Parts: sequence; structure tokens; C-alpha cells
Amino acid sequence: MNSYKDYVKWDRMPTTWCGGCSIGMVFKQLTFTLEQIQMPKERLVVVSGIGCSGRAAGYFDVDSVHTTHGRALPVAEGIKRANPELNVVVFSGDGDLTGIGGNHLIHTSRRDTDLTVICINNEIYGMTGGQMAPTTKRGAVTLTSAAGNAYYPLNLQGLLTSVPRHFYARSSAYRINHLQKCIKEGLGWKGFAFIDVISFCIENNGRRLGYKNGFEMLDKLKADFKINTDPSGPLAANELGIIQNENQKS
Amino acid sequence: MKRLIMGNEAVAMGALEAGMTFFAAYPITPASEIMHFLAKEEGRIVFMHAEDEIASMHMAIGGSLAGSRSMTSTSGPGMSLKQEGIGLAHMMGVPMVVINVMRVGPSTGMPTLPSQGDILQARYGSHGDYNPIVFYPASVSECYVYIQQAFNAAEESRTPVILLLDGFLAHLAETVDLRSIRVPRKKRTLPPLGKGTRHFTGLLSKDGIPQTKDTEYYRKWYAGYKKRVERVADKYAYDSYLPHPDSETLLIAYGITSRVIRPLRKEYSIYRPIRIFPVLEERIRDITSRYKRIIVVEMNDGQYRGELQKILRRDILGVSILGGTINLREVKAKINELL
Ligand SMILES: Cc1ncc(C[n+]2csc(CCOP(=O)(O)OP(=O)(O)O)c2C)c(N)n1
Ligand SMILES: [Mg+2]
Repeated sequence: MNSYKDYVKWDRMPTTWCGGCSIGMVFKQLTFTLEQIQMPKERLVVVSGIGCSGRAAGYFDVDSVHTTHGRALPVAEGIKRANPELNVVVFSGDGDLTGIGGNHLIHTSRRDTDLTVICINNEIYGMTGGQMAPTTKRGAVTLTSAAGNAYYPLNLQGLLTSVPRHFYARSSAYRINHLQKCIKEGLGWKGFAFIDVISFCIENNGRRLGYKNGFEMLDKLKADFKINTDPSGPLAANELGIIQNENQKS
Repeated sequence: MKRLIMGNEAVAMGALEAGMTFFAAYPITPASEIMHFLAKEEGRIVFMHAEDEIASMHMAIGGSLAGSRSMTSTSGPGMSLKQEGIGLAHMMGVPMVVINVMRVGPSTGMPTLPSQGDILQARYGSHGDYNPIVFYPASVSECYVYIQQAFNAAEESRTPVILLLDGFLAHLAETVDLRSIRVPRKKRTLPPLGKGTRHFTGLLSKDGIPQTKDTEYYRKWYAGYKKRVERVADKYAYDSYLPHPDSETLLIAYGITSRVIRPLRKEYSIYRPIRIFPVLEERIRDITSRYKRIIVVEMNDGQYRGELQKILRRDILGVSILGGTINLREVKAKINELL
């Protein structure tokens, strides 16, 4: 029996993450889920890109790879295709996966490569100080959108569900039971599973937006999003849930 | 049995002979035939036509980490895209092979014409300090041999080894009996992912733990890395030397250019490095010391000549053949202008 603690590299603690950061909250839920499904450690590989979220790979007590910025998906795909016995989890940031790595996201999902992707969607480039990401809300002030973001954020749900066979889940750092459920189903899904975890970054985004601490940002997630357990169509902007399609011809 | 085979095909066949089981690439002239040939092996090997060269490079890194002998192939513009991943593979210690079939650049340039314009890109194209092993064959059978040695050197050095070709050699068809050529295969050196608790990272790290502020450690690490590559490179010190007893001039050429100037051996001594990087320093120092004049003939604006000049600290003459066409008469005329 593995405890969640067995998946953590304790000699690497404390992490590099700031107090009040949401990445550790998601990291922890992933370890809980690994315990629940008793994931064999020798069959698990965690792959990250670059960013605060990208540091996660190094904190798992399994073989792990910390790649270059945006390239977590192709490295993960190479691993999975070379050894399909491995369960490959990608844990990375929104800037990494959808910005610089956006082309890989389009094509790895289109190829329906059997990976479980956990995207820390904090709507910002956290590590580099708080520049706008493709996920940043329209109007938001960041270091590179001083007058407010002029662009619409990427429609990740739309992108990922445009592939006939798909698994797209949206959860949040606040709804931890829901998050665990999404991760568990994502791990069980044979194919490309993308879990869009709405998160936040207090130090390099939240303070600029007027939040005093991480708790306030967590509270905002609680207020803003509600769970839809049985979505009949696409998730509304304020909904959390799972959209999946087996695309099996009857 | 003898068969008519072209350079690109010999490379693909040699890679299979070396035990390559993972190939990812993106189409580009004049490298595409390597892909076309290996596409037919899909199922026996992992074959990925990736979305771009950045992806194919990183897929090959993943494939190697997971236990496969991995390779990717491209030409100049694609090579530029692979450079980020080449740096990562050096830092993480990933054995794999990268092929660059050179065409005339910069940019899309003259895509169907051969060049040797990426010599310095092969050596310095990524970021930071690193020390790549680079081979450059000059015949179809050599393509078959040196792709296998590239895999061997990659295993021993745990680095991405580069095989350079030019569009000429890649498309050159020669009648060869590849089955009669045997290249001993080195064992895999990197235990595959799974079962361990290793952390592979592009950050400077010690036993998987990042050491991003420790100057002393960086210096120690870099010296060790460099020595490791050099020790392996020493075992692959391939070259060829055709001395002429009466010549005071030594011609240096590599790849297709060395082929073209071979008839000049009746008048001059000719030296051809095959492992072009790390530069075969001692050997070149020794040979060049016997000559009054050294002329590097290459299909670029003096790239290797500059490297040799740096090492030998003496004047070296150069014949540059630019624009994708090479013939012996032009080379001869340019040599005569220098003498
Ligand atoms: C090729 C390259 N470009 C830029 C950078 C600088 N950089 C490091 S992390 C990062 C943004 C990370 O943002 P995200 O993926 O959202 O992660 P977060 O820090 O928010 O968790 C950038 C631009 C880099 N490391 N490599
Ligand atoms: Mg981010």
C-alpha cells in the first residue's frame, strides 16, 4: 500500500513556491489521487515544462523530467510512445502548455496520445514576474498589458473538444474533491486527458489586481465557479465539470 | 549483394542496423527521404511525423529517456528549431542522433541545392557552452558506417551526436554492398524511465537536485562533462590523409567537397576530417606543420577555416564555393589564384 506521502520527494521540501500559492494545493490533490488509485510508482513518470508549475516534476518520488519551456508534451509523447506501459502525467503551467507550447497542445490532443495533462491555469506567467498569458482575462493589467489586456483569452474547452474523441475537465484549486475526481477520471481515460485547473498566483499577479493574500484569491474561486456534475453541452464560463466523448460509432 | 543506394537511404538503413527504434521528424528537403524510408518501418519502430522540428527533437529526447535508441533528421531551418532541444539533451545527458542534411541558406535560401553552411551551427548553434560530437561522411557506404558510429558515440558520451550530410551526398546514388559492412554496436548506457526516482532537468543539477546558484559546482560539472565528451570523441577520431611527396600545399576538405577535389591528389596532399567536431586538434596540428601552405576548400564562407585558424594560430587560405554548385575546374582556378 502506497500512502500519498510515498509519491513525494521529501528531501526536496520545502518547495520553491511562495506562501499562498495555488500550485502546491493542486500538487497535493494529485498525490492524494495517486494514493486512491494505488498508482504503481515504477509505472509513473511525471513531465513538466518551465515555470513555477513546471517545478512540480522534481517533487515527485518517481522518475521525472523537467523539460524546456513549452516542450513538456512532445517529451511526454516520446516517452509514452516508446514505452506504452508507463503512465505519463504532464504537470505544467498555462503559459507553458497553451502559449509557447500551444502548437504541441493542438497536435498532441489531435493524435489523442494517452497522456494525463494537469494544467495550472493561473492566468499569468508567474515565474517571470507576471506577464499576460494566453489565458489572461480581457482587460486584466499585467506587466505586459499595462493598459489592460486587449485580447480575448484562449478558449481551451473549445480547442480541446474540437477533436472528435476528447477528455476536457475544468476544475479549480478550491474544489478539491472535484479536482480529485477529475484527475482520477483523467488518469483512467485512455487517450489525451486535459485537466484545466483554475488557479491563481498571489505574488506576481494577485497583488497587482488588489488581492491581499492567497486566501482571498481562493475565496474568489469559491464564489466564481460552481460544479456542473452532468453537463449536457459545453461548460459555461463559471462552470466546473468534465466534457468527454468516446466517439464510438454505435 | 551490391545495390544502388542513395545517401539518405543508407543513413536510414544504418540507423536500423544500429538498433534505432524511435524516429521523429518533420519533412524538409533534402532530408525527407530518410523519413520516407523509415515510415515503412512504422510498427517495428516508433515513427512520428511531428508537428514541427521542435516537437520531433523533444519527442526523440523522450523516446531515448524511455529506453529507445532515438533519432531525428532535418535540414538547416529545421536544425535551427532543434537547437533548443539539443541544449536540453546535452544538459540532461540524453544519447540520441540528430541528422542535418545541409542546403543553401540562410532561411529557405536554395532548398534543393547542397551546401556546407551549417558547420558552425552544428558546433555552436545551441545556447551556452557545450561540446558536441559531429561526424560528416563523404560516400554512401560512409553514411551507413558513420550513422552507426554516431549512435555508438551517443551512447558512450550520453549526448546528442550530430551527423552532417549535404544535399549532394544525401541524393548521391552509389552501388554498394552494405550487408558486407559490420559496425559493432555499443550497449545502451541510460537505464530507461520507470522504476527509479531520478529527476532529469535542464537546470544545472547534482543527483537530480537543482544547483542554480553554485558557481563552483558549475565549473566542476562543466569540466567533467567536457572531459567525458572528449574521452569518447578520442575513440572516434576518424579522418583520412592522402600525402603527396612533392606538395608544399595541403588541401583540407570534408564531406562532398573532399569527394570533388580528390583528383587533385595527383598534385597536392589532401586531409579530410570525418569527425569534424571536436576538431582533431593534435592530428591536424601535426599534419599541417609539414606544409608551407594550407587551403581549406568548403561550400561556405570559410567556416571551418576559421575554426582551424583559431586552433593553429597561423594563416590559412580558403576556397569558398558558394551558391550550391561545385565543380573541380572552379576549385582548381581558385586554388591557382591563391598560389
Ligand atoms: C524559451 C524560453 N522562453 C522564455 C523563458 C522564460 N520563462 C520561464 S517560465 C515562463 C512563463 C511560465 O508561465 P507558466 O507556464 O504559466 O507557469 P507559472 O510560472 O505561471 O506556473 C517564461 C516566459 C524560458 N525559460 N524559455
Ligand atoms: Mg501560469
